[in-house]
Amino acid sequence: MSFDTRTKLAIYRHFAETGQKPSLQVVAERVHADVSSVREAYVRLCAQRVLVLEPDGVSIRMAPPFSAVSTQHVVIVDDTKYFANCAWDSFGIPAALQRAGQVHSRCEQSGEPLNLEIDLNGPPSCSWLFHCLVPAAKWWDDIVFT
Amino acid sequence: MLFFRSEERVREWCAAHGYPMRPLVTMDQLWTLATTWYSTRLQENSRRPKPDEMRSLFARLGLADDFWDPQSDSFG
Repeated sequence: MSFDTRTKLAIYRHFAETGQKPSLQVVAERVHADVSSVREAYVRLCAQRVLVLEPDGVSIRMAPPFSAVSTQHVVIVDDTKYFANCAWDSFGIPAALQRAGQVHSRCEQSGEPLNLEIDLNGPPSCSWLFHCLVPAAKWWDDIVFT
Repeated sequence: MLFFRSEERVREWCAAHGYPMRPLVTMDQLWTLATTWYSTRLQENSRRPKPDEMRSLFARLGLADDFWDPQSDSFG
């Protein structure tokens, strides 16, 4: 397995286990490498669009579908609380974990709460809708806004 | 990428912010998108869908216009 893949899995598995981002030091320990090597891997993982960093170039902002910051999209799986980057990613967390879970969010216009029980086959029959403002070709121009 | 209770709520939100209304996606369609993107994300051999795979997936779900084309320049 390549170093970049090991680094990516270390990040994602930390999120999966804790619901929170790992520090650079924790990732380095998990892959048995120095932090400078991990930072270099971060740059390549960002180019692959599986990692988004804060402006400091070190702190993790997103490992999609996981968010390192609090959002309105909360997912509970096996008593662990996760934040998703967006509505799409709120479904992506149970999908990635391959576990049932609860998705809690809201209607962006009315504020009405959304509470969905997701099982391995997906959500129950439901008339809520998903709206994406940014065209697919532009998603990564500003992924935080998207 | 947001949830809305109904098409009318989407229309109100877009009008309030001066945004164009985009194609709407059902919860079943969203689940298919999410599983395609993320179901292998914690595995060694995972990767994001490539543009042609994205295009094919969107088309299968009936999301086939330029808005969903990952390489379209129609929205430049």
